[in-house]
Amino acid sequence: MTVNRYTKMAYASADDMIFGNSPNPVKAGLDLEIGAGYTTPEVNYAPRPEAGETKEKLVKEYERITRDIMERMVQVGFPAVVLETEHVQQMTNNPTWGGEVANAQKAIMEDYHDEYGIKCALRHTPGDIREDRDYLQLRGEKYNTLMESFEEVASNGADLLSIETMGGKEVFDRAILRNDVPGMLFAIGCLGTMDMEYIWQDIAKVAKKNNVVAAGDTDCAQANTAMFIAGGLLDKNLAHTLAIIARAISAPRTLAAYEAGAVGPGKDCGYENTIVKSIAGVPIAQEGKSSTCAHSDVMGNLVMQCCDLWSNESVEYHGEFGGTTVQCWSESLAYDCALMNVSLQTGQSKNLRDMMVLSDKYRDPQGYILAYDNAYKVGEAIVKDSDDIYLRAKNAAVECVNLLENADPKLQMTRFEKNALADASEALAGLTDDSDKFLSDSLEQYKKEVKVFRPENYGL
Amino acid sequence: MTSLDLDPSEILERYNVKMEKAMTPDDAAAELYPKDELIRPIAESIYEGEEDDTVEGLKKAIDAGKDPIALIDDALMVGMGVVTKLYDEGIIFLPNVMMSADAMLDGIDYCKSQAKEPPVSKGKIVCHVAEGDVHDIGKSIVSALLRANGFDVVDLGRDVPVDEVIESVKKEKPMMVTGTALMTTTMYAFKAVNDRLLEAGIKVPFQCGGGAVNQDFVSTYELGVYGEEAADAPKMAEAILAGADLGKLKEQFHQH
Repeated sequence: MTVNRYTKMAYASADDMIFGNSPNPVKAGLDLEIGAGYTTPEVNYAPRPEAGETKEKLVKEYERITRDIMERMVQVGFPAVVLETEHVQQMTNNPTWGGEVANAQKAIMEDYHDEYGIKCALRHTPGDIREDRDYLQLRGEKYNTLMESFEEVASNGADLLSIETMGGKEVFDRAILRNDVPGMLFAIGCLGTMDMEYIWQDIAKVAKKNNVVAAGDTDCAQANTAMFIAGGLLDKNLAHTLAIIARAISAPRTLAAYEAGAVGPGKDCGYENTIVKSIAGVPIAQEGKSSTCAHSDVMGNLVMQCCDLWSNESVEYHGEFGGTTVQCWSESLAYDCALMNVSLQTGQSKNLRDMMVLSDKYRDPQGYILAYDNAYKVGEAIVKDSDDIYLRAKNAAVECVNLLENADPKLQMTRFEKNALADASEALAGLTDDSDKFLSDSLEQYKKEVKVFRPENYGL
Repeated sequence: MTSLDLDPSEILERYNVKMEKAMTPDDAAAELYPKDELIRPIAESIYEGEEDDTVEGLKKAIDAGKDPIALIDDALMVGMGVVTKLYDEGIIFLPNVMMSADAMLDGIDYCKSQAKEPPVSKGKIVCHVAEGDVHDIGKSIVSALLRANGFDVVDLGRDVPVDEVIESVKKEKPMMVTGTALMTTTMYAFKAVNDRLLEAGIKVPFQCGGGAVNQDFVSTYELGVYGEEAADAPKMAEAILAGADLGKLKEQFHQH
């Protein structure tokens, strides 16, 4: 596989971007097509911790989860569903465990498909196990185990392959806690992208060999860390302007999966996916108001704007008044999708999209930039220098800062947020346009500052 | 927007804008700096997170006859006190605290290098990330905030085996242990640490927090005290210094 850079936008204008539709829809699983004119719920879950004690217990837990979801979908009359199994560590570390879980889940899904005709697909997301106690070990023995895990799940029933890679995180964790924008650029834009290119070429090979779909990645380890630390309006741990700069930089990193062979749908927690979709035209999963079981954010409606799969992020399997958690959340997601699909069929979809966007666009700088009109502009900045992984990440950050500095006055920001923005703007203005110089300077600096940073992880 | 637009004021309240203090952080800090002309530049350099200026200020103060070890309390901790006060009041952000802590630690190293006797710390705290968990950003924040408040931190790192935590506690005899975990699957190691500490007859407060950890879970083991935010760690340590036992700590920090 080779890496093919995106050099232009997938859409002629931002207004063409809408939920349930993508220029490059993806067929997956049992009669499902993603991004082909309708949205589909994607249910995500975690087994109870004690279920991970043995392989047998774990397989049974996933069987219960799968049956519960499929049963609820047909009980309430929904036409399609995607299940996402994000691996617990022991499943990826023991590739046959993941394979057996995928096999058991798919058998149940096939039964429901055969009996009721429900369209469905199974996503498996092995954990990024490439680390030991002291260092990230992105290449080597653990990499081989990870690839075995992909092979096992792909050959045993998983239709969509994903991962949340961690390349660059060792540098990012230091940078984000010190308002270090150049460090964020190096960590996410350069190191993260290098790692993505490496791993996604191999995942795409596994997908091709098994005739399944290489579905994409998310910068959860970095951009979501920033979003999580930034927290709510009253939290004082990180300026939300910094969190959205990290998010903008994450878009070209997440794009790298598609440049290395993935086709989508992107992962749910990739809030950068609207930017990615504007460039690559791939279908995307998103999470927001219906993922409050897992975390809070400040753009719960807005991120639904261009989703093709609508996810709950993750919920531990246990009982609620309305059924098991996976039943409750799958039903909520499916009702959200029904509304979006009605709007598509009645010609009201752009109005619904814009109402969802406007309900959050001015809530926070993060929602403002991720609103599809601004996300599209960040996308344009990325493709301008798409052959240079440093410059395109820098462009994304600069465009994000420009948009915020010239924001609609309806977006209110605190003095702290504005100060952090001004500092970031100054730091970006002081950066070279010479990628080689940026890379070599950053390499020297972070080798000294981050003792767990190992350049060989990135082929440097 | 293309087809719709609105005035968001009827659907949204930016409470952070509404609540913002009138005073700028720099103004607020300026009111808190000490008056001594040798000490003030050191405190300012800590607030600004400028390591080189901190060491420069310390050199001048030592050359002028100040005792290097006394400067830790009289200058470095005073400067850091300004920073933590402004952070607690919501006037500055965590990255400012982290950068100031970096400057303070460089300053402490310099003072130690210039002194004959080692400094006396407020108390020792063992920090770790739960066994099986490699996510350490929460632990890094907790460690930095504890150090910023003058506590001596033994940082065991991430994915720390239960045995290693117990050995460290036996050896270091800390006033408190902290544990962070991102995942529900790894936080169960806290229970094991709790049980092993009790078996050894050690009743040290064990502050736990992070990602999926919640008060309900931490309340299931005797030594556990739940810290909802990293900033709770130094507050708990101070409460222990002020005489709070486990019961008092739980009463103060368990709020749900």
